[in-house]
Amino acid sequence: MSDNKIQMIPKIRSGIVIDHIPAGDGVHILEILERDPALKNVPITFGMNYQSNKLGAKDMLKIQKDDLCERTIQHISLVSPGVTIKRIRNFEVVEKVFVQPPKEMVNLLRCLNPGCITQNEPGLKTRFILTDPKKNLVTCVYCEREFSIHELSPIV
Amino acid sequence: MKRDLISMHDLTAEDIQVYLDTAARVETISLKDRFQLLQGKIMASLFFEASTRTRLSFESAMYRLGGSVIGFAEQAATSVSKGESFSDTIHTVENYSDVIVIRHPREGTSRHAAQISYLPVINAGDGTNQHPTQTLLDLYTIIRNFQKIEGLRIAFVGDLKYSRTVHSLLQALIKFRVNEFMLVSPDSLRLPEYLKRVETDLPVTFVETKDLEDAIPYADIIYMTRIQRERFPDQIEYEKVKDAFCLNAGMLKKAPEQLKVLHPLPRVNEIAPDVDETPHAEYFRQAKNGLIMRQAILLNVFEVTI
Ligand SMILES: [Zn+2]
Repeated sequence: MSDNKIQMIPKIRSGIVIDHIPAGDGVHILEILERDPALKNVPITFGMNYQSNKLGAKDMLKIQKDDLCERTIQHISLVSPGVTIKRIRNFEVVEKVFVQPPKEMVNLLRCLNPGCITQNEPGLKTRFILTDPKKNLVTCVYCEREFSIHELSPIV
Repeated sequence: MKRDLISMHDLTAEDIQVYLDTAARVETISLKDRFQLLQGKIMASLFFEASTRTRLSFESAMYRLGGSVIGFAEQAATSVSKGESFSDTIHTVENYSDVIVIRHPREGTSRHAAQISYLPVINAGDGTNQHPTQTLLDLYTIIRNFQKIEGLRIAFVGDLKYSRTVHSLLQALIKFRVNEFMLVSPDSLRLPEYLKRVETDLPVTFVETKDLEDAIPYADIIYMTRIQRERFPDQIEYEKVKDAFCLNAGMLKKAPEQLKVLHPLPRVNEIAPDVDETPHAEYFRQAKNGLIMRQAILLNVFEVTI
């Protein structure tokens, strides 16, 4: 991490850093974090438009909590696949994962097809299969329609 | 593991071939012997929306095999209309039957039923999604006439944009290595692009035309569909195109001898009655093949080998 970044967004002693977020996606990830009840009173720092060699510009989030629940991580992977989640202890990175959308998504996304049974049967969990990881296309197991992940809203 | 039939997407060419072979064998068994095959079995026929032809075909198939049928023909007559949940209906019906056939206006309902029930489920149409027994009977009609599927020249005519029957049959034919199709439709009802992006080692060619006469000297099979008035936001547009996609006996004079005309029925005016008298008319036989194929499907569900 270069010096100017540290000045703009303070280091955290321990917690989670979500890095390498393509500029603009940070807001969407923030929306997901806001919906996670476990993060209700947790301090979160949000930085936008840092210079990045890889991405040109990137966003970054720092969360002062030791872990994120699996569901939130999965949601993040759907909104912005490829971001890095780093676990920090004593100012050091102790773990680093690149998040990718799971092959099967159970009850994470809402089907867009109004005629789909998942929209009409209370309690029925939605299920999507990642059918094209390159284009981020998913197919509803029930109505068999294909969607771009970004078209679908997350279930909270 | 129970044997459901939910979607053509679940089936490989080999799986489909099993249904086709079973159907061919069903035809060789006398009605008297067939009547012994599913004695004592009960089929629940749950039609949450009316579809008389499909329902009668399924019910007749079950009776032909010596089984019995319970069920309903439309939602209005049932406790569902009193607000019972779908899953409660399925769990109740499970107590009374050995196989469940479902027709439902919502996409994905049969898949849902198959997941919550310990009984095998057959999809008789889930909204605009799948109607696998129709596709299987179409394939059986083709193979019964030509003894093969690979290499046939097939023209689809009419509403190629919304017709689930066309989409499903087209995808199945590609699994059987059919690699050339003629598509005859008005501009506004052309086959969606995503269906033309085929990922097989064999390149597939689509020849598109608005002229039905182009298909006649070309095809082994002409698959006709209905053009529905309500698909056109502009009624003048409908009036302009509706007759251009109607087949009559005069047009068939140029047809190759082996040409067969298929249609999922009911037809309205897209096939003139004078076509019925020609050797090309195969659509009534196609409906009979539906009965044969549904017997084959029921035998497969109950793992009865013939
Ligand atoms: Zn769906």
